[in-house]
Amino acid sequence: MSVWKYEKAHVMIERTIMLMVMFFAVSLVLLGRLFYLQILQGDRFLSLAERNRTAVRFVMPERGHIFDRNGVILADNKKIFQAVLIKEQTPDYKKSIENFAKIIPLEEEEIESILNEAKYKRAFKPIQIKDNLTKEQIYQIHLNAPSLLGIQVEESLIRSYPQKDMVTHLVGYVSLLNEKDSHEKIKDELFDLPGYRIGRTGIEQSQEQLLEGKPGYTKTEINAMGRTVQQLEKVKPEAGQDLYLTIDQRLQEFSTKVFGKESGAAIVVDVRTGEVLAFVSVPTFDANLFLSRISSKKWSALLHNEKNPLQNKALTGLYSPGSIFKLVVALAGLEGKDISASAKVNCSGVTKLGKHLFHCWKKEGHGALTLRQALEHSCDVYFYEMAQKIGHEKILETAKKLGFGALVTNELQGEKIGLIPSEEWKKKRYKEEWRMGDTLNLSIGQGFLTATPLQLVRAVAEIANGGYPVDIHFIKKEVNFERGERMFEPYHLKLVQNGMFDVVNSATGTAYASRFDLNGMKMAGKTATTQVRRISLKEREEGVKKQKDLPWIYRDHALFAAYAPTDKPKYAVIVVVEHGGGGSSAAAPIASKILRHALTLDMENAKLKETGTGK
Amino acid sequence: MSFFKDQNCYLKNYNLSFKEKWMGFDWSFLFFIGLAVLVGLSVLYSIGDGHWAPLVTHQLACLAISLGAFFLVAFFNLRFFMKYAYVFYAIGLVLLVWVAFFGKGAMGAQRWINLGFMQLQPSEIMKVVLVMALARYFHGASLDQIRSIKFIVPPALMVLVPVLLILKQPDLGTALMLVFASCAIFFLVGVQIWKFILLGILSAAAAPIIWFSLHDYQKQRVLTFLNAEADPRGAGYHIAQSKITLGSGGFWGKGFMEGTQRRLSFIPEKHTDFIFTVFAEEFGWLGSIIVYGVYAIIIAYGFSIAMKCTNFFGKILTLGLTTNFALYLFINMAMIMGLMPVVGVPFPLMSYGGTAMLTLFIGFGLMECANINREMVIGRLGSIDDE
Repeated sequence: MSVWKYEKAHVMIERTIMLMVMFFAVSLVLLGRLFYLQILQGDRFLSLAERNRTAVRFVMPERGHIFDRNGVILADNKKIFQAVLIKEQTPDYKKSIENFAKIIPLEEEEIESILNEAKYKRAFKPIQIKDNLTKEQIYQIHLNAPSLLGIQVEESLIRSYPQKDMVTHLVGYVSLLNEKDSHEKIKDELFDLPGYRIGRTGIEQSQEQLLEGKPGYTKTEINAMGRTVQQLEKVKPEAGQDLYLTIDQRLQEFSTKVFGKESGAAIVVDVRTGEVLAFVSVPTFDANLFLSRISSKKWSALLHNEKNPLQNKALTGLYSPGSIFKLVVALAGLEGKDISASAKVNCSGVTKLGKHLFHCWKKEGHGALTLRQALEHSCDVYFYEMAQKIGHEKILETAKKLGFGALVTNELQGEKIGLIPSEEWKKKRYKEEWRMGDTLNLSIGQGFLTATPLQLVRAVAEIANGGYPVDIHFIKKEVNFERGERMFEPYHLKLVQNGMFDVVNSATGTAYASRFDLNGMKMAGKTATTQVRRISLKEREEGVKKQKDLPWIYRDHALFAAYAPTDKPKYAVIVVVEHGGGGSSAAAPIASKILRHALTLDMENAKLKETGTGK
Repeated sequence: MSFFKDQNCYLKNYNLSFKEKWMGFDWSFLFFIGLAVLVGLSVLYSIGDGHWAPLVTHQLACLAISLGAFFLVAFFNLRFFMKYAYVFYAIGLVLLVWVAFFGKGAMGAQRWINLGFMQLQPSEIMKVVLVMALARYFHGASLDQIRSIKFIVPPALMVLVPVLLILKQPDLGTALMLVFASCAIFFLVGVQIWKFILLGILSAAAAPIIWFSLHDYQKQRVLTFLNAEADPRGAGYHIAQSKITLGSGGFWGKGFMEGTQRRLSFIPEKHTDFIFTVFAEEFGWLGSIIVYGVYAIIIAYGFSIAMKCTNFFGKILTLGLTTNFALYLFINMAMIMGLMPVVGVPFPLMSYGGTAMLTLFIGFGLMECANINREMVIGRLGSIDDE
């Protein structure tokens, strides 16, 4: 063997060993990496593999139905087809939505809100694009499937309100989730459901927990394409609880329609049980409007309507009770023995308090009046005089007893409590002492005190039922009705009731025009006309302008509180007509019609029972 | 020199008889190769969801042909390969050129010649014949020759031409393997290390030029590799899922046929390039290092044959083929573990596919041939003794 061979072989052995060392080093790196992936990161990858393997799809539970007291459906569910987008099933979801909009037009706002939802939703969660698809649209989607990657058509349930705008302010409505919701309740699995809606107002909002039900789910093993390999687990959804409300849809509809184009509120309650039979706030709107994404045009029309259809005036409208508050003052006076049935006050048309003049609504005065007459004519001077005797403390105490300044129900959210003024309150608010003038204003319900229609109807019901507390409620109760303890002397209530009787049934009463006699059943009530703005001295001198000459927004509010039948009170009603003018001309006729209809329905029910054709 | 003569007194200056060859045959080498193949078949069985057909049966057929080729090559005269090394290389080159014009494409790449009964991949053949040609070239070269630049230009061209042709197909993985294996051979025969450093610097400088000549999908693969986690549903999907599959195996693995990832077709190319992920998912880290051990033994055998072989042709040939085999393993492992871009290199002996199996076994056959003929004297031009 030659030298060159020896040298070459030597070098080759050297180099071979170097190569082996290199291979060994590479092997260490590879096995180390394998160790890192399988041992150190093993748990993480195992859970990723598990997530790869299973897909949980939630199944929408049927929302509880809402019925009226007779089983008339107020909130129903209907089957629809909706298009949903699953981001992870397409490389470019924006493109898919764009293509979708070419087939089924979407408004720009809709696209914006879909894209917005897509931003914060996780890639495997479906997003609703369009609901209520027609057969033609479904066909179009299937036809264009290749350009609509990630978009699927699926069956779903949607709320429907067959009564449209008739019970919106009581039943409320549901609407789609927005970004804010998901930040509040992100963990709730219902939020994963496309097209899931939650209650926004009314019973739908307050009874969300009962109505929503429990979602079911299917756990499926899927492959990389998202196709189901096999179903692992299936849990059926639990439907939400059905609710029966106390309202009578027939009366509700009648009471809504009787307002015509006016703005206001009306509530009918059973004076004994506190069941609400009608709960009206007008103008109203179709509850179905908010089910899908609402166009901003419609939304702004609702928002900027001066009659404020979105506000539930029966629950949140704050009004000075006006002359209706005289019932409270009378009761306070009688209970405190500051007023007697026979004592008379002479009304000259004005009461002088220091330098200030307090006018009666009747310039020329009523002459000498008893309590009953004072109520009948709604004489202001009588109450100015009496209030000075009674003092504001007792009046306010009685008001509190009747539930002013406190929440009426916990079955609806957003209720206002109004205001019961006090010395401390005035000091704090106006940095002034309570003055007798304030008491006088309070006595005719024109001062600081404000109340909601719901508070007013409860007070009237408590006067009508003989002084028992009334538990106002909207959801039918299974338990037997229990009467509480009397709050007032029956005789005193009788005196107030007599005054209310005359308001309607005496030829000189303020609401005589609205009287009715339905098989001997009559109505008693109290009118109120409350100023929305102060009447200036100049105006008073020039003579009060006719209400009709004022812009609508400056006109007086018209109120009427009543109950019927007078001999055995069953229903109490409050009617508020915003800027309606006089209580006797605008509110009383409406209240009269409503009460009359309530009693008529009662008689019809009784007849049905007798003939045995009823349920 | 008499000293060397004495040392080499046992050298065979004649062609071995069949009996001598048979006696010199190393069965344990084949045993470990067989072990790796068996593991591969079991994984294919698992991927086939417990069905033999078509994966396992087809692979078995390929295995039968490959084994036949292995024995045929192993019992050939080593000198024959030396003699015709350039002819083989020339044939390989012609086939590569052929494929560039008439080849069958798959996924935008022109790699195959359809022979009717099988798909011929000239780039796979080139992996063997290039090593053979280089072994022949360096067999009779003295160290001084090897260290001169002029001498290494021809072999460099022998590498460059097929590499460019394969890059054109485009098949980045095979091209890379050819470059690495050739570099290893240049390194082993004693080309100075500074030349490799210079080559490294030059190629780093040329990187931007190479980048712009890459196909879009190749660029995409590199980019994906650099940031795989950013878009696990998009282009980084393969790597991300591959890592999940591997990682979820843990220490013990999920058990044979129990892998969830392979069953749900989350792994791309699970029966070819990513087959090891399926194995690692089912047999865990423990199973993986055992299998890796088997591969290490096969590589060690290669080195031991090269050490024992007295003729340079056999040495270089064996080392080149061993390096080739190791590169398959390293590149594939690095690729599926996210250490390297996905370049399309199968896992040796396990991945489904005939050509790769056949060329690997021809390579092993050549290594065995070098082993049997380890004491053969081969002259500079391939005759028995033309020194």
